[in-house]
Amino acid sequence: MRNILIIAKREYLERVRSRSFVIMTFFIPLLMFGVTVVPTLLANRGSNETKHMVVVAADRDTAEMIRSHIEHKQDDKDKEKPANKLDQKRGLPPINFAVEVSTNTVDSERVALTAKVKDKKLDAFLWATPDAIKSRKLDFVTNDTSSFIDNGVLGVAVNDALRRSALKSKGLSDSDIETSLQSVEVAAQSPLGKGAPDPRVMFIGTLGIVMVMYMTVLLYGINVMRSILEEKTSRIMEVMLSTASAKDMMAGKILGVGAVGLTQVGIWAVTAGIFSAGALVGAAGLIKGVLSVKLLIYFGVYFLLGYVLYSTLCAAVGSMVNSEQEAQQMQFLVMMPMILSVIFIVNIFQHPSSPVAIFGSLFPFTAPLVMFSRIAMQAVPWWQIAVSIGLMIATIYGMVWLCGRIYRVGILMYGKKPNLPEIMKWIKYA
Amino acid sequence: MHTIDLNKVRKSYDHFVAVNDLTFSIEQGGVFGLLGPNGAGKTSTIRMMIGITAPDSGQINLFGKPFERKSLNKVGYLPEERGLYKKMKIIEQLIFLGELHGMQASAAKQKATEWCKRLEIDAWMQKKVEELSKGMQQKIQFIAALLHDPDFIIMDEPFFGLDPVNATLLKDVMLDLKKQGKTILFSTHRMDQVEKLCDSICLINKGNAVLQGDLKSIKSGYGKSNVQIEYEGNGDFLEKNPLVGAYNNYGNYVEIKLAPGADAQQLLHMVAEKSRVNRFELMEPSLEEIFINTVGKSNA
Repeated sequence: MRNILIIAKREYLERVRSRSFVIMTFFIPLLMFGVTVVPTLLANRGSNETKHMVVVAADRDTAEMIRSHIEHKQDDKDKEKPANKLDQKRGLPPINFAVEVSTNTVDSERVALTAKVKDKKLDAFLWATPDAIKSRKLDFVTNDTSSFIDNGVLGVAVNDALRRSALKSKGLSDSDIETSLQSVEVAAQSPLGKGAPDPRVMFIGTLGIVMVMYMTVLLYGINVMRSILEEKTSRIMEVMLSTASAKDMMAGKILGVGAVGLTQVGIWAVTAGIFSAGALVGAAGLIKGVLSVKLLIYFGVYFLLGYVLYSTLCAAVGSMVNSEQEAQQMQFLVMMPMILSVIFIVNIFQHPSSPVAIFGSLFPFTAPLVMFSRIAMQAVPWWQIAVSIGLMIATIYGMVWLCGRIYRVGILMYGKKPNLPEIMKWIKYA
Repeated sequence: MHTIDLNKVRKSYDHFVAVNDLTFSIEQGGVFGLLGPNGAGKTSTIRMMIGITAPDSGQINLFGKPFERKSLNKVGYLPEERGLYKKMKIIEQLIFLGELHGMQASAAKQKATEWCKRLEIDAWMQKKVEELSKGMQQKIQFIAALLHDPDFIIMDEPFFGLDPVNATLLKDVMLDLKKQGKTILFSTHRMDQVEKLCDSICLINKGNAVLQGDLKSIKSGYGKSNVQIEYEGNGDFLEKNPLVGAYNNYGNYVEIKLAPGADAQQLLHMVAEKSRVNRFELMEPSLEEIFINTVGKSNA
């Protein structure tokens, strides 16, 4: 036990003091900050751009209506849907439109306008002739599709304008039209009542937490593997083995690297907490709504079980291989169940009680991510949680035994990569 | 009292027998040479002695008791595969290895500093291993094996890669440890380097002990059948001479193995007739010669 702690302590201190740990620890939150906050900041600054476009319609009324809608829609959008922060966060800058109208619908005008757009003298034109309106398909000619279409402004504006003009032609008053076209918000709500977080927020927040678990288990499992490989190539194994048992070395390594992982996640959690307290980061605010003490405990449990299981496998792989290349091939195989869990995760969010989800949450190699996701999304029967934890502990026990035996032989073997029959022999050695 | 006893120790990997029913003991305070060509089973034997691997059959007693992990705190091991944590500072590395051998961190630090001074690398204690030359790394490795003041010191190819100055430094330290009553095991295929240090030896080849016992009695058993001659003049006597079994001409001198039953005095007369003899010495065969001879026989 003393040796395990000495080895874990060395591993921990060496890693925490290393430059890469410091960089990772501060770089990742910075990256998250960059992804979430910077586009918003940029978006607010990029609003000076003005797009020139022409609306072509047979009669001036229709053209004017479309024009006024396009020019005002941008402001309306901000006013109408303050709740929809997610659209804002995509970071598309609001655009000012300068719209001219034209009632010249002859084909030569269309050719002339197309040439103008081509020569960049004009940003775009909309061809809203009666024929086109009748066929419910308007041509919009532009070099710059993204800023018009992605904003969703144009489609909404044109549709709105056309609907209004159609209703008006049926003789409805302006106020009737206003009432009938007023949009209705569909607000998603949890059955737990108003205080509970928005399910959509819950979804994204949980996905974020699951990804953190996935990344850290993957990252630190691979760290264990690489550091064993490094010890193997630096030939320190035999020096160590003359005083510590292979079992102690493996346990110490897994413990030490795991503690580094917890430290890093801890630092990130505190950072996120500070940011969300300051209401600076949207994403952190979301997590705040999702994280409960119960979920935090389950995160801890499944993170630790998942990490121990995968790092044990990685330790065996690290001891078997002789080079980084060999290690990469093998690590993909070992990490396969984790990767599969992530591929299916959205499906599991949507159908947390499906047979696949239940199987995945009980199968020890996928349980950490799948069971945690299920717990976050719904109330899972306690016995399923108990079975999944029990199975994981049993599997870890078996894997520690098995991988310990592979490790013990592997760390002293140099040369070619062992094949399966050879590994089976290692397991049987006294 | 024996520091270690091996009794019919056997280890095989698949169908390859690495160590075949090996039996020997090392007296406390003795210097023992475990000798043999590459792949003879030396390292496999050592690994079983210190519990890195377990023998398939046979018995190993360390300090008079069946192997137990606790005993390793009194064993110092310099493996053939030298290795240190490259990114770690020297002093921290030594403290770490000392702690693993059951020392307190403060005691380990003090001892490590003493050793670094003795081996003249104290100026480098705060440097990382990767910044050191190969020779300096060797010294660190050496300190790592001796830091915890072990009673039994195992050195696998200790002089490998050392320049003559450092080899002498190391030899002096070993002699000093011998004086302190430590038991030392040298494992090597370079006989000439350990010949003068060992009290007894075990020669192994292909996992089998082919020759073992007290070095002096082994050598005297071979008799003084070698002659070294320093001469000036005609060297014709070396060729087609019934008295000369084999010879090695080193330029400055020649080493001759006498033919069976040949008289050394007769040879001296013969040489003195035609050349001027500066030195004529009757010698025991070198360990290397015995080794080549014995291993050659066992291979045949």
